[in-house]
Amino acid sequence: MAGGEKISIRQFTVLAMFYTIGTTILVIPSTLASDAKQNAWIASIAGLLASMAIVALYIAIGRLYPNTTLAGMLEAAFGKWLGKLATLAFIFFSFVGGSAVLYYMGNFMTTQIMPETPIGAFIVLFGGLVVIGVRLGLEVLARTAEILFPWFLMLFIVSALFLLPEIDLANVKPIVGIGLKPIAKASLAYTGTATLPLVLFLMFFPAALNRKQGAGKALLVGNVIGGLFIVIVTYLSISVLGADFSSRNLYPSYALAKKINIGNFIQRVEILMAGMWFLSIFFKAAFYAYGFAAGLARLCGCKDYRPLALPCGMILIAYSLVVYPNVVYMMDFDSTVYIPYAISTGLLLPLLLLAAGLIRKKPGGRTNE
Amino acid sequence: MIRMLSMLLCLSLFFMLLAGCWSRRELDELGISVGIGIDKAGKGYKVTTQVVSPGEIAAAKPSGNRAPVTVYEATGETVIEAIRKITTMSSRPIYLAHLRVLVIGEALAREGIHKPLDHFSRDHEVRTDYFVIVAKGTTASNVLKILTPIEKIPANNLYLSLDTSQKEWAPAATVTLDELISDIVSDGKNPALSAVKVVDKQIGQTQKNIEIIKPPGHLRFSGIAVFRDDKLIGFLNEKESKGYNYVTDNVKNTVGSMACPNGEKIAVEIMKSKTKVKAKMSNGNPRIEIKVSMEDNIGEVECQIDITKRETIAELEKIAERRVHDNIMNTVKKVQRDLKVDIFGFGEAMRMENPAAWNQLKQNWNERFSDLDVFVTADVKIRRIGTVANSFHKEGEE
Repeated sequence: MAGGEKISIRQFTVLAMFYTIGTTILVIPSTLASDAKQNAWIASIAGLLASMAIVALYIAIGRLYPNTTLAGMLEAAFGKWLGKLATLAFIFFSFVGGSAVLYYMGNFMTTQIMPETPIGAFIVLFGGLVVIGVRLGLEVLARTAEILFPWFLMLFIVSALFLLPEIDLANVKPIVGIGLKPIAKASLAYTGTATLPLVLFLMFFPAALNRKQGAGKALLVGNVIGGLFIVIVTYLSISVLGADFSSRNLYPSYALAKKINIGNFIQRVEILMAGMWFLSIFFKAAFYAYGFAAGLARLCGCKDYRPLALPCGMILIAYSLVVYPNVVYMMDFDSTVYIPYAISTGLLLPLLLLAAGLIRKKPGGRTNE
Repeated sequence: MIRMLSMLLCLSLFFMLLAGCWSRRELDELGISVGIGIDKAGKGYKVTTQVVSPGEIAAAKPSGNRAPVTVYEATGETVIEAIRKITTMSSRPIYLAHLRVLVIGEALAREGIHKPLDHFSRDHEVRTDYFVIVAKGTTASNVLKILTPIEKIPANNLYLSLDTSQKEWAPAATVTLDELISDIVSDGKNPALSAVKVVDKQIGQTQKNIEIIKPPGHLRFSGIAVFRDDKLIGFLNEKESKGYNYVTDNVKNTVGSMACPNGEKIAVEIMKSKTKVKAKMSNGNPRIEIKVSMEDNIGEVECQIDITKRETIAELEKIAERRVHDNIMNTVKKVQRDLKVDIFGFGEAMRMENPAAWNQLKQNWNERFSDLDVFVTADVKIRRIGTVANSFHKEGEE
């Protein structure tokens, strides 16, 4: 179903990393800080560890069905009709996720950078880019990630180094003093935003990888590297801005970059942070759109998902304009509805899939794959 | 043919890009505000803003007979309304990204500052790198109307002078908006801002002021304004402000004079200073330990003393320790007795070191603060004595 597309292990690692960083880097320090206060960075490490367990689940599923896409797995495990129903759930997940990510992007621009510009202008431009990406296919997206990775890394290292002088260790003290419950809650938010959407990677993992061995490791490594970036940003955000300011701010990592001032010379570089975010969010949006188009293609029995890229993209763009009526709705949705939703699609369904798959495989060895 | 047409269509799409940015704001369309002042006006606020006059600042040949900045004032029920209302007088919209100082009038500060500050933390243009100061005994509007020598932009003068006096003299507090907000919301620390005074505002507002070699109208930072939560309740004098900065570990470099053993004076320059505040519980009572360690150089000797002797240096170190100790103790005592608010962040120190105890204490921390046991230990090391050994007046007078 992946149309014979093949990507390398390294490309896949970078993709997984970008996808993990996605929207997480700009919004999660605030969510973590409002729950776990000065221990937000500990919560992000806890989230990183929890994420590894979830990734292990995806890897196990990948091992079970090495040569088919998510839709194929679901049909093999649950039978044709139930499988199609489950595929529909994933299609809906990527549809909601994709339009939400586009909204995030537009909302960030209209809140922080150009408030007079209508949000549609950003969403159409960015959505257009996503459509082009999906239409060109997985291989092109993977190569793009490979090319953009060093730039992302450079921007990140530079801004992190420039922030070192601003760190005030008093802001992270005391290291204890917040109970386990807020940390668990915060790490759940981290996992929901950063890792559970990775379930969509089963659409092409591990079928589209040119080598099967090391594929699982690549997914794990990508997720952990992406997670480390987020841990660093969260730590910087808490230690530079303080827990209160981080939780109050809609986009703490942007506020963080505003703090950079080296000798009154290197300053006002926050747009670098935004640039980094554009890179990572592009991949997040592109793979939601990919999941939407490829899932739909499979469901309708199309041979190729690429012709669906433009119509799917148009639906995503249109829906992203109405997905959240206002910012407060978005924040409320993200902290209440989204996490259980992500858990049901990203954790429960895959668990069922794994269980059903194992039961089916046991008696007769290989079944219908 | 169809290929040609679609090419043409694609090319014509580029015209959309040529039209440029939607939210573009050209430099010559912005009124760059460098200082903003907020005062009380009836039920709302009077906002005063100091806007750069680019022709006088940036041009190669300024006309010289126009003021380098201009000040607009407007009143509104909320801060943002007042700022927007300024466009009824100004040709350009006010642009706040280059703000250097935010001045709060004393009357407003006494009523509480958290309401008017919200706009500055919410607006996307405003950054957090400017200083917040209080106009002592006057309005913010008067502070922003004084023309200053050397720095053409008075708000810049305020910013730099505060920054320099914090670095070289110490009794000043450079507080940015984010620090101020976290002090306001914190249970364990109350805000303290630098206070600025206006001298001779009549002449200060005219161009004539800066034509005189010693401008009669000027601005001067004088001590620190103390807040309870967000309400101004009093001021510290210069000495106490220095004590405050010792406790909060904000002394970078300063000068202090002290008495020689024979009563005359000797001055030391503090080159390095580091303060550690420890909060402990002893027998159920909170106890604060302040430890200051400093490195000094001798800066000026007026008395007859043989500073080439090791015992003298040791004795001077003792005297210096005594002085720093007394200064900090007096400041803490005064704040405990008269102002009764924890501006030093002792509560924060307790929260960091003993979170469990802090949860019990924070309910009535300000009351507890007044009878808190505070212990100060100072450790002064005199490292260098300048470029000469003994002073020349020794032989001259004896």
